Amino acid sequence: MLTPYGLDIIESCLACKMRAERIFCDLPPAALQSFENVKYATSYPKGAVLFVEGQTPRGIFVLCKGRVKLSICSTDGKTLILKIAEPGEVLGLSATVSGKPYELTAETVDPCQVNFVKREDFLRFLKEHSDACLRVAEQLSEKYNTACREIRSLGLSHSAGEKLAKLLLEWSAKNGEAAKTEPRLKLALTHEEIAQMIGTSRETVTRLFADLKRRQIVQAKGSTLLIRNKAALKALAITP
Amino acid sequence: MPGVNNVTENGDCYHCIATVRRRITSIMESMIQSSCLTCDFRPDRLFCDMPAESLKSFDEIKSLTSYPRSTVLFAEGRPVRGIYILCDGRAKLSICSDTGKRLTLRIAGPGEVLGMGAALSNTPYEITAELLDNSQVVFVRRKDLMKFLREHRHVCMEVVRMLSQDLHGAYERVRTIGMIRTRRPRMIFRSHALLV
Repeated sequence: MLTPYGLDIIESCLACKMRAERIFCDLPPAALQSFENVKYATSYPKGAVLFVEGQTPRGIFVLCKGRVKLSICSTDGKTLILKIAEPGEVLGLSATVSGKPYELTAETVDPCQVNFVKREDFLRFLKEHSDACLRVAEQLSEKYNTACREIRSLGLSHSAGEKLAKLLLEWSAKNGEAAKTEPRLKLALTHEEIAQMIGTSRETVTRLFADLKRRQIVQAKGSTLLIRNKAALKALAITP
Repeated sequence: MPGVNNVTENGDCYHCIATVRRRITSIMESMIQSSCLTCDFRPDRLFCDMPAESLKSFDEIKSLTSYPRSTVLFAEGRPVRGIYILCDGRAKLSICSDTGKRLTLRIAGPGEVLGMGAALSNTPYEITAELLDNSQVVFVRRKDLMKFLREHRHVCMEVVRMLSQDLHGAYERVRTIGMIRTRRPRMIFRSHALLV
């Protein structure tokens, strides 16, 4: 079957196999059926913008497949990437619920399948299904948690090196490689994007990477990064 | 205070001010009731202003305590016990780095619910809350709260709205902190951020 952007689109939430593992999607049958009625399954190419910071909220975007970059922007055009959203996450949630403008910009990193629900429909859906409401609350608190972590790393770190070390450790822990002595991670972002994640410049990131390689702390093989000296990286992350 | 100690006659202005102040405090204290049902502040507060029957069952699961100032209600990283609602007084919300540096996020005022996010997702508290005044605080255990939210849809909706507002505030903070890059503004930011 021919599908847009080579994606395997799952049209119906009822038939989705991934549902059980996802916080928001794992709804009771009645709620799922009414969610199915209000949602639109859409697909986007790489680099599409789902919504822009400051826009009036239209509704929520449930990420089914692919990854989405969430960033905030300053008035003079500098960008800070807050996180890379993974499948199962609900985007634009707090703005939709509170009616305030979107506080982030969401841009797809890969071709994505996204389920869109209009704001009025979503609010009605929440009023009718208290289970879904709790799920939403859970998602929101998770996002709050991430935001707090971001504030901590941005506001309380001394140097860019410290922040980069923290970021690399965090990524290596995510892929289930945390237990290994030499964890391996795939660098999906460019130096520019990494710089935007830790609030520094592209040049600094390149310099820091070169420094880490020179000191044999990390080793690069194409886009894969091997952490050779985890203890040294940890020491970098907590230097006062 | 020498002025107060020297007072011998009633009608002295220092004496008057002290008495009036004491009167006002006692009136304020009596206005904060042990029962939510008779609380006068309730209509003005986002979370507390719930329908009558929800309020009744909320009143059954909550417990009211007075704490002296500088009590730590909960600390970052500790397992979650439940939520705290400030009836009066203020609380300082802060986060901490591994090296012990502290950054104040904001000051919470009366009527605010603290620790809601952690309670809902059953994760450790993400911030530290410390009282700035002598305060009356309502505590609700996590288990009771979850049961209560499942049964009362309106309150659940209000909670979602509240959490979105918290999130908005946090993103605003990320923006102000993260966008300052050069060395000199960073110093200004430090003095603003109350780094202790």
